Amino acid sequence: MAYLSMGEAHRRITDYLNRFSDAVFCQNVSSLKQLLSFSSNSPFLISLADALNLFQDANRLIKQSDKYSQFGDIIVPLFRSLQNYRTGNLVESYHAFEKSANAFIQEFRNWESAWALEALYVLAYEIRVLAERADRELASSGKSPEKLKAAGSFLMKVFGVLAGKGAKRVGALYVTCQLFKIYFKLGTVHLCRSVIRSIETARIFDFEEFPTRDKVTYMYYTGRLEVFNENFPAADQKLSYALMHCNPRNETNIRYVSSVFDAYALHLLDRNSPDVSLMILKYLIPVKLSIGILPKDSILQKYNLDEYSNIVQALRRGDLRLLRQALQEHEDQFLRSGVYLVLEKLELQVYQRLLKKIYIIQKQKDPSKAHQMKLEVIVKALKWLEMDMDVDEVECIVAILIYKNLVKGYFAHKSKVVVLSKQDPFPKLNGKPVNS
Amino acid sequence: MERSQNGERRRNLSSSSATGFHSNPTRTTRSSNNFRPGNAPNHSNNYHPVRNRRSNQDREGEAEKVIVGTCPFMCPEEERLQRQRLRDLAVFERLNGNPRESSPTLAVKKVPNFLLNYCSIYFNIFCRTISAQSVQRSDVRPLPVLEETLNYLLDLMDSAEHPFEVVHDFVFDRTRSIRQDLSMQNIVNDKVVIHMYEKMVKFHVVSHHKLRGSRSSSSNSSMHYLNREQLTKTLTSLYNLYEANRSSNSVYENEAEFRSLYVLLHLDSSGQPMGESLSLWFRNLPTPIVKSKEMCFARRVLRYFRMGNYRRFFCTAAEVSYIQYCIIEPYIDEVRAFALACINKCGYQLHPYPLTHLSKLLMMEESKVELFCNSCGLETSMDEVGNKVLPTKQASFCHPKGGSQRYSFLGLEQFDR
Repeated sequence: MAYLSMGEAHRRITDYLNRFSDAVFCQNVSSLKQLLSFSSNSPFLISLADALNLFQDANRLIKQSDKYSQFGDIIVPLFRSLQNYRTGNLVESYHAFEKSANAFIQEFRNWESAWALEALYVLAYEIRVLAERADRELASSGKSPEKLKAAGSFLMKVFGVLAGKGAKRVGALYVTCQLFKIYFKLGTVHLCRSVIRSIETARIFDFEEFPTRDKVTYMYYTGRLEVFNENFPAADQKLSYALMHCNPRNETNIRYVSSVFDAYALHLLDRNSPDVSLMILKYLIPVKLSIGILPKDSILQKYNLDEYSNIVQALRRGDLRLLRQALQEHEDQFLRSGVYLVLEKLELQVYQRLLKKIYIIQKQKDPSKAHQMKLEVIVKALKWLEMDMDVDEVECIVAILIYKNLVKGYFAHKSKVVVLSKQDPFPKLNGKPVNS
Repeated sequence: MERSQNGERRRNLSSSSATGFHSNPTRTTRSSNNFRPGNAPNHSNNYHPVRNRRSNQDREGEAEKVIVGTCPFMCPEEERLQRQRLRDLAVFERLNGNPRESSPTLAVKKVPNFLLNYCSIYFNIFCRTISAQSVQRSDVRPLPVLEETLNYLLDLMDSAEHPFEVVHDFVFDRTRSIRQDLSMQNIVNDKVVIHMYEKMVKFHVVSHHKLRGSRSSSSNSSMHYLNREQLTKTLTSLYNLYEANRSSNSVYENEAEFRSLYVLLHLDSSGQPMGESLSLWFRNLPTPIVKSKEMCFARRVLRYFRMGNYRRFFCTAAEVSYIQYCIIEPYIDEVRAFALACINKCGYQLHPYPLTHLSKLLMMEESKVELFCNSCGLETSMDEVGNKVLPTKQASFCHPKGGSQRYSFLGLEQFDR
């Protein structure tokens, strides 16, 4: 580190103090934002941190002038936080940052207009990220990680401040999304419920008023929640929304939502940053599969979604063995992302496909008899796939398929035959999930 | 124990004069070994200083002092004497049947009456705000006494003298009081506590089974409901204990079994309010548990249940342990009903389904099969040679109401005795 003189340290600190108070007086949010963004690791903040650590008595400077001292409650802890941030004491840094953010909220409340909203966003982001790092520090020294939870409580307070009639309310969705990220990380996803309820039912909020970027993030997380709860139509709608609106240049025509996987969609996906598309696709694909829509291989290849390629293949071929293999191979990954149970349910569709293939083969041999399928034939087909099933189980599967409208017809127990309807014996799902 | 949900761990400072039920020096020493800073033998990586890094000793006189119990009996003497005076003794506590007399070997501390009517939220708040000033140490039982008390209570479950509901009611209340005492003393770092919670979970599971379908009076169905509530709470506390006491990636010997019970309790978890689905639950499960034999078994049961694969579901159900049976029993009948629905809807009208085959399929005695069909609104009849059959395509199918009828399970009949 280059030699830093006391004079230079003094200069840097006063420089910051001036920028801060000027930003507030002139309501200059872009300037204010930069003063709060620790994680940006800007040279400006780094050099300030060094200055603070050398000077050690910034409080005196702050108290010296009314111009700065009125923001003392915000800046004193903010400086302390920055110092600790620089020296790697993230737990202390978090404590001080939360204190500063608290004081900032009090001021923010008093400002009539919503000019400082973007600075508030920065605070919300920083507090979450800082809390995550603080928790890592705690965990690595064998202590109980609790800062992220505290950040969550703080952000709920912020939400409360924003949930009012004024222009500040459009900030509520951003804070909501930060809360989602916290709850998902902590595994306390059930806490999302109350925030969602506030956003969706409170009269002060009009969803369309929120910034698009926040709406996309919101739909992504609520879409994922729908996946966990296996509400596929809702999951499809929300995740597709996120995909559509990711990039402001995409058209927002709802007509294309259901054909996300055709060529046009590929073009749309291209327009998003690949990370974002990948995130959404990870959840959208199991949803689409559950309603009978298969993605093109080109999409899977382009985004390296190998874990899904065998599953899609299994659905196309009616290959039960392949489905089970694929589930086992990526079991950990699917369990962690919460889509395992959804994918397991695809088994019925694979059975349907298998029966359809047998039907097609029979039709080629003897069209007049094709609609009658001996259960023994199905047993043999499964044996060929190395799946050991007796006739009773096959009858059971066939009964389920018919019951759930994946197959039209009936089974005859005595003759051990399934008789298919002559018309449309294998109805497509057509965007609806399998009947429960 | 509900306190440990915060993930905060406190040291248990019972370096006290806990005489315990047996004055067993080994025990007391073992307990105090946990509290020397940095020297927790069982959980070396897991020593957690108290909140805000101040030790309990620094916080003397503050409201949240941890209590250390000294009561040597199953019931504090003062309470016993008072209840004797008020004739507030349960049947099991009476000496020679005398409603006014008990003894230290019969009386068991109960949950205070005023708390019984409060919902569990208040119960927890009460436990958490107990301060040293308002509760006497002599009213609180230390760990060794609590362990003995629990064993005593669970032995009562085998007694045939009284109707099950009466025994359950007593043990239900008294084990709740045990958990209250544990919570007040914030005992979390001990293998003994984990075993105690495991036993209490088993108690609730067995009661869950035995109370179901007992004469469906409203008091019994509320007993069943309250028991289910406590089952979930006790299970959650147990999981918190496992988490709190985890060192590196190890798991407790019974942890896989008790985690798998959660899956079996929530087979029909889709359709639950947001955030409680099994998909979410699996996300946070440590890998050794996911791969364990018990969890794999539970996941197989789950898979067959969700698909409706009644054939495999029953084949798998035939392998359950008693505890697992107690939990999945209601689902067994649900799957049976589904099987009948499928066969009724999709079976060829001219081929009525033989009851003998149904009996094998649904793992039910033939005589019971007919009863079950009837409870689903289906009539049976006879074929030309006198065999009982189920005609299909009956329009009157309905899901059976939760009645008191027990259908048992072929091969597992001993579980229903």
